Amino acid sequence: MNTAQGTGAGGARPVRSARVVIVDDHAIFRSGLKADLDASIEVVGEAATVEEAIAVIARQRPDVVLLDVHLPGGLGGGGREVIAGSAALLATTRFLALSVSDAAEDVVAVIRAGARGYVTKTISGAEITDAVFRVAGGDAVFSPRLAGFVLDAFGTAPADIADDELDKLSARELEVMRLIARGYSYKEVAKELFISIKTVETHVSAVLRKLQLSSRHELTKWAAERRLL
Amino acid sequence: MTTLPVRPPLARSSDRVIAGVCSGLAAHLGWPVKNVRLGMVLASFAGGAGLVFYAWLWIMVPTADEAARRNARRPASPIAPTVSQPPHGTAHDGTAHDGGTPAGAAGPVPGGSGGTAGPPWFRARGMRYGKEILLGCGLLLVAGIMIAQLLGVDVSLGTLIPAAAVLGGASIAWMQLDETRRAGLVDKTKADQAGGWGRLAAGLALVVAGVLVMVSGSGSWEQTWLALLASVAVLGGVVLVLLPWALKFWRDLEAERAGRIRETERAEIAAHLHDSVLQTLALIQRRAGSEHDVVRLARAQERELRGWLFQDPGRESGQLSDRIKAVAGEVEDLLGNAVEVVTVGDAAMTEAHEALVQASREAMLNASRHGGGTVSVYLEASDGQAEIFIKDRGPGFELGDVPADRLGVRESIIGRMKRHGGSAAILSTGDGTEVRLRLPAAAEHAEGKS
Repeated sequence: MNTAQGTGAGGARPVRSARVVIVDDHAIFRSGLKADLDASIEVVGEAATVEEAIAVIARQRPDVVLLDVHLPGGLGGGGREVIAGSAALLATTRFLALSVSDAAEDVVAVIRAGARGYVTKTISGAEITDAVFRVAGGDAVFSPRLAGFVLDAFGTAPADIADDELDKLSARELEVMRLIARGYSYKEVAKELFISIKTVETHVSAVLRKLQLSSRHELTKWAAERRLL
Repeated sequence: MTTLPVRPPLARSSDRVIAGVCSGLAAHLGWPVKNVRLGMVLASFAGGAGLVFYAWLWIMVPTADEAARRNARRPASPIAPTVSQPPHGTAHDGTAHDGGTPAGAAGPVPGGSGGTAGPPWFRARGMRYGKEILLGCGLLLVAGIMIAQLLGVDVSLGTLIPAAAVLGGASIAWMQLDETRRAGLVDKTKADQAGGWGRLAAGLALVVAGVLVMVSGSGSWEQTWLALLASVAVLGGVVLVLLPWALKFWRDLEAERAGRIRETERAEIAAHLHDSVLQTLALIQRRAGSEHDVVRLARAQERELRGWLFQDPGRESGQLSDRIKAVAGEVEDLLGNAVEVVTVGDAAMTEAHEALVQASREAMLNASRHGGGTVSVYLEASDGQAEIFIKDRGPGFELGDVPADRLGVRESIIGRMKRHGGSAAILSTGDGTEVRLRLPAAAEHAEGKS
């Protein structure tokens, strides 16, 4: 998981501190994650179930919620349900999905519900810190695996018209996704394509938007069918 | 050929006209099916001996599926070698008469297994007394008719025809029972349910008609009509009374079956977890001192468990992506560094793809060994073309600096790809190295022809 590596030197990040809520049903994982996070990140709340999470988020209004995809409680919807229950706060509170599952249907479901990114639980402390800042700054965080899912779901052929086509990726977006899937950091992607990091972020955000808004029913169907890791 | 040919166990075959008795018998005896059927028909004229024999075999002999299930259940553990099925391929085609069996079929298996195949099913069958009683009743009936005829009582055609109708209807219904038992055990969603109900209805109609004609004798239509009405009313009443009870019984049966399936599943999961996860956890506790070993064990176990949990049985295995993941797993086990694989699209394996897999394995090994951190592998396969990227974050190297006698990169990666019509490029900077392997669609076709 090298997504967010090396971006600290990008410099232009306005966000250097963040208030965070951790939502995960495993206490061991929560405390481990807390210890791993940078000192500049303040953990203002924790929750273990869907109901607790919605309550804590409404009370604390954090910048970022680190959200496990699989959660007990609620109607069984897990992380997706937490995001849906906090819909009113989506403008100020960003959600970063954490998952051990890697199953496409879980990941795609939580992204489509409104999460700004997805990382696996094996991610290192420095990487998760960076991902938190990135999400807090309004950008999207794509792991190589999520980029792979996107490529698989949207197809690897570029759209004919690269403007407002929601069901296809533009040639440039495809290139960015491919490089991220290959393990490139945003900075490396920028260097490889001779564009600025800001432009890379714009492309990734555009892909995230397509992933969230595309009405293509095949996307959900695809995710449901692709149960393997 | 003095040795006795090995016989397949006697079982009713699925290749059947009525109940598969004749073809099963033919397979068992090694005779042509046609002869057996003809013999059975001829024997039926000899006082109905053939019919009785047929009925007896029908009741006593299990279907091939049942026999297979019973055999399959015998080995105690999945690791123990399964009981080998006697080779019966030659007996089925009907050409293998006594002594005509090819040596290949009869040679390697001496008579031992043939001798053991008999008794177990016979014993198991012997438990089913209900059927024997039924059979006894049938035989008694036949004997009774014969005695009656001997004593001079005129058994008229008017009695025999309805009796035949009853017997025919009963056997149709019985065949149906046979079917549902088999289908119900294999899976409950049968496609031919409609046919089954139709058969059951036909059997019932035959039996009812036969009984009616027999009971009412050659009475007038009015009488028959009345009797029919009365019997239907009685039957309706009985159904009304028994329905709740039957439904409850049926539900209990269903619940018990579901419970048994759950139990089997649970046992299977428990066995798997015991063999894999618990063993690994024990190993991790013993190796707690070595971070390297612990991480490696955890990674390997994670991979194994994921494979088991998310395996899609409907998907073809042995595809290119499976091979790449397997190779990545090997490299992880070997060197301990994580290898993250992302795949987009897939392709069936060819010889050229195998070369691609081997080249990427070599690249992964290099990346893991010299990069010293997580290795990212990306596979994209579409329209016959396959591309693989292997990236590490090591200090990088110059291809020119690699000594000429080190063949890893030059031979195993670049040379191998070129020989199979592909290409390899290595891009190394201070921030890491990326190996790019590409196998175009054309190369694959050329490989396929040669």
